[in-house]
Amino acid sequence: MKVLWSWLLELCDLDKQPSPDEGARALTRGGLEIEGMTDLGAGFTGVVVVEVVAKAPHPQSDKLTLVDVITERGGAATRVVCGASNVPAPGRKVLWAQVGATLPVAGGGTITLGAKPVKGIVSPGMLCAEDELGLGDAHDGIIVLDQEDRTALGAPAQRALGIDDWMLEINAPANRGDVLGHLGVARELVAVLGGKLVLPNLELGELMAPGEPPALRVAIADAAGCPRYTARVIDGLRIGPSPRRIAQRLRSVGVRPISNLVDATNYVMFELGQPLHAFDAATLTTGTIGVSYAGDGEQLTTLDGTARTLIPGDLVIRDGSRGVALAGVMGGLDTEITARTTRVLLESASFLPVAVRRTARRLGLHSEASHRYERGVDPELAGMASARAARLLCIVGGGKVVGGLFDAYPGKRVPAAIPVRLARVQMVSGMALDPATCRDALTRLGFGVTETAGGGGPGFDVVPPSARVDVSREIDVIEEILRLVGYEQVMPSLPALRKAPGVRPADRGDLARAALEAAGASEAITYAFQSVARCLALGVAGSDRRAQPIALRNPMSADQAVMRTQLLPNLLAAVTRNQSYGRPDISLFEVGSVFLRRGEGMSERPMHELADEPLWAAGVLAGRRPNQIGPGTPWDAFDAKALALVAIRAIVGDRPVLTRPTSAIPYLHPGVAGELVLGREVVGWFGEVHPEVRKRLGVDGAAFAFELELDKLPLAPPAQMQPIPRFPGSTRDVSLLLAAELPAARVAEVIEQVAEPLVHRVRLLEDYRDAKLGDGRKSMLWSIEYRSPDRTLTDAEVDKAHEVIVGRLVDNLPAQRR
Amino acid sequence: MPTAQELIANLERLGHEFVAVIQPLADEQGIRAAQAGFLGKKGKLSEVMKELGRLPAVDRPAVGAAANAVKQRIEEQVAARLGELADAVGKLDLARTVDVTLPARPAGGGHLHILTQVRLEAVQIFAELGFVVADGPQIETDWHTFEALAIPKDHPARDMQDTFYVSDEIVLRTHTSPVQVRTMLTQAPPIRIVAPGHVYRRDDDPTHSPMFTQLEGLAVDEGLSFADLKGVLLHFVKRFFARDLAIRLRPSYFPFVEPGAEVDMQCSFCMGSGCRVCKGTGWVEIGGSGMVDPEVFAHVKIDAEKYTGFAFGMGLERMAMLRHGVNDIKYYYEGDLRFLEQF
Repeated sequence: MKVLWSWLLELCDLDKQPSPDEGARALTRGGLEIEGMTDLGAGFTGVVVVEVVAKAPHPQSDKLTLVDVITERGGAATRVVCGASNVPAPGRKVLWAQVGATLPVAGGGTITLGAKPVKGIVSPGMLCAEDELGLGDAHDGIIVLDQEDRTALGAPAQRALGIDDWMLEINAPANRGDVLGHLGVARELVAVLGGKLVLPNLELGELMAPGEPPALRVAIADAAGCPRYTARVIDGLRIGPSPRRIAQRLRSVGVRPISNLVDATNYVMFELGQPLHAFDAATLTTGTIGVSYAGDGEQLTTLDGTARTLIPGDLVIRDGSRGVALAGVMGGLDTEITARTTRVLLESASFLPVAVRRTARRLGLHSEASHRYERGVDPELAGMASARAARLLCIVGGGKVVGGLFDAYPGKRVPAAIPVRLARVQMVSGMALDPATCRDALTRLGFGVTETAGGGGPGFDVVPPSARVDVSREIDVIEEILRLVGYEQVMPSLPALRKAPGVRPADRGDLARAALEAAGASEAITYAFQSVARCLALGVAGSDRRAQPIALRNPMSADQAVMRTQLLPNLLAAVTRNQSYGRPDISLFEVGSVFLRRGEGMSERPMHELADEPLWAAGVLAGRRPNQIGPGTPWDAFDAKALALVAIRAIVGDRPVLTRPTSAIPYLHPGVAGELVLGREVVGWFGEVHPEVRKRLGVDGAAFAFELELDKLPLAPPAQMQPIPRFPGSTRDVSLLLAAELPAARVAEVIEQVAEPLVHRVRLLEDYRDAKLGDGRKSMLWSIEYRSPDRTLTDAEVDKAHEVIVGRLVDNLPAQRR
Repeated sequence: MPTAQELIANLERLGHEFVAVIQPLADEQGIRAAQAGFLGKKGKLSEVMKELGRLPAVDRPAVGAAANAVKQRIEEQVAARLGELADAVGKLDLARTVDVTLPARPAGGGHLHILTQVRLEAVQIFAELGFVVADGPQIETDWHTFEALAIPKDHPARDMQDTFYVSDEIVLRTHTSPVQVRTMLTQAPPIRIVAPGHVYRRDDDPTHSPMFTQLEGLAVDEGLSFADLKGVLLHFVKRFFARDLAIRLRPSYFPFVEPGAEVDMQCSFCMGSGCRVCKGTGWVEIGGSGMVDPEVFAHVKIDAEKYTGFAFGMGLERMAMLRHGVNDIKYYYEGDLRFLEQF
């Protein structure tokens, strides 16, 4: 909320006069964060208040006037050329931008005035209109100060305009409806800096009209919905523009001045925090103001001209049975103030915050009034605000108050004392606060404090001011004490550890991250949401949960419409992005949750339960491997496999991971893809990204990828040391001629199947394909190391074991020995 | 029949002859062969010594001694020559040069995301104070995200966090605070947890991202105070920035804590003298905190008379920004290697 420093100062009498800066710091320290400060008069310089002493027509132009002005009584006059049609008679004050003055330029920047000839007569500067000072859009004449204006001649124009002032932007907490008016902020300022509140003038005595008070009845259907409704009638009003000071203050806090009558109600809302509404009393015919909930489908046209269809939760103000306003949200069109209005019914009421909020949200009608009502307006404020607004209406509109305040107050609360224990204050704050300090803090905030000494030890009975609807519990009072004492007074301490911290298993994601980083890949973190198109770009079958993403009801854009079901789409998009940045050599991975609906085939069903959020790892490779000098060799599927395996091993240890060729993964090349199998379970896959998928996501050139379901990987128990071999091993090689499509894993499997305890290590030395070998044939050279833990093997033993294995290979694969 | 003098002379001659033989040899193999030609079983010395048996016994020791002397000389010459050769090889090896200014062979080269690094470090710092990592779902119930944290439906505090909805009851969590609720529902005090994780708000500008990372902390025990909260946060800031920075708690409102506080730290860029990052104030905001509100304890059935607690939350993007100068939040999520490889 925007507050004006001058306005705040009017409402309090502080022990020591602070600068705006000191005031802002004090408010922030107390909990009203000042998000920004603006010097309202900073828009121009060198403009002063002058008095017109003579005026004469310009000899060359009948549109121009030569105006003689003085900056001090008895001083020499200066002749300024003025093009406005409203140059006032001598004796009135106007604003003169002198030579050297800087004025704002529409669209930003400033200009500095010089003396320039206007139709042959040099004008030292100019007389200013509102728009020339950046104050408004009025250019229908220069600014002429009010007759009663008492600003000294020669004073800066800012003073006469009421903008020698600072605007403070307050970030009001959502529970502090009381600081949505200058009075509430002044209350905080007084509490922090010391001093007392000064209420604005509420005196109506000389403004009362003689004669019969109007007959009016206020009927509230539900005290919870409307705890208080007051109404008052002011008659004899004349609509017109507001005095400059009121209009300028409203502009400064962000409200467009409309008319003297409407502006007066807004002014009081910003002053006291109480929203008010003025009805044209001539349009109210029944003499009964009612407050009740809408009937289902009831129609009401609000003053923005929109016909609203209401539901039973909406609170409606009625003239008899006819709806005339949406309570706390917006007035009705046919009872609004118009140019013909002379008699006003002034509403000052309080409404149930939740009701106002629901209506405002449902209709998208957020107003200054609804903002305040949603946060709670003190019912006690209604009477004071009504008097204040009535007084202002009479002053600015020339009217009189007719009759007294019609006040229906079914929801009046008896302020309840809140018991507060001193020991609890000390315990929560961690400070040895004494009773006097607590009492002082609360008293400064206007709380009633009675010291008590019950069975629970010393304490207080605390009665907060009615405006503080947010304070109802002991802990609320403790916060008030602590913030007034100052959080900075709390000495930091470290809490003792009374129980050993719990033990948590290693984080699979972090194990995988560390391993992948060490293997040379870089970690990306991408958005958890994506477009539907990107989610489906991998071509996963519609029956698969991964093709039934969880949709957001209110995404910020179509690019963020659904939650990711896989990590690869965003990673592949990152590949495309890097390629477009001229970074074609890419090794990226991501570890994170994907989001899957529980149960399958339910994409059309609204979600009423949580999602499955399994942890996945995925990686993509594109371009070339790093190299010492010159371009490296291109990545291939085995690089993706290597990354997958280091991530798996970081979690499961040295448990064997088998590879099976697969052509069933729609986003991997059917001939260049493998499943990774741990025990009996497929835990991930790797391979070349399918050319169609690449094309869809705009990836340039071949790319290789892996995906792992980390939740399926059991954490390895601590590795156990194996004996270091004490006896030398012995190696035999075997060269085989095989069918080209026979997987290497099958050969290794047969070798290991033999369960020959002497086999220590199996290595593939060569995988050779050549036309000379014959169609569909390949040659493989395998090396098997034999070793015994308890003796040096004889050549005969090794040869025998080797021949058994070679025999199996030849028989089972089948293979030919070369 | 040769005399002893003749044999000795022959031996001496062989000794001299050996010198001539190995002088031109420049490889170990040749030298060893030459050595064997003189000293081996069928070598030249053995040939001479075959005559020894035919000498009178009285002359034999003198010839034997001479043979030993020659043999020893030959062996010394072999050793010396081999030594020379080894020195020459060593010298030659040392004469080798490599342009060590060529680039290194690539090794490693991977990078953990800066947010991962910051998270791991933050978690480690809190672990030293006994906080253990806890987690919870990112797609959460409205109850865990709001209701249990004293933010009922239709409460203006819901405006503070514009929420992504999946359905009426299911939301993307707007903060990591639902992990507090889940923890307190399943663990009895004393509790000390930190919960890092992604959170989501409908916000998108240079300082806000619709997805970002929070780190939540919660401690519940008998006798925990606001002073303890302050101490834990101060320790964290000092450790994380490895500098003696001050913190400032400012009264603020979060529905699930009371007293509530905004946490500011002394600006690490200007050390508090005022700069662009802290907008001249010397302080930068790093998160929210406060004492657990009794209403939250009521929702999770913890006795608010017996126990107190404190909670805090901070954005890890912001911590990374403050420590590493990341000036636009969007860089974190684009997978741009030009960014990722900087950390």
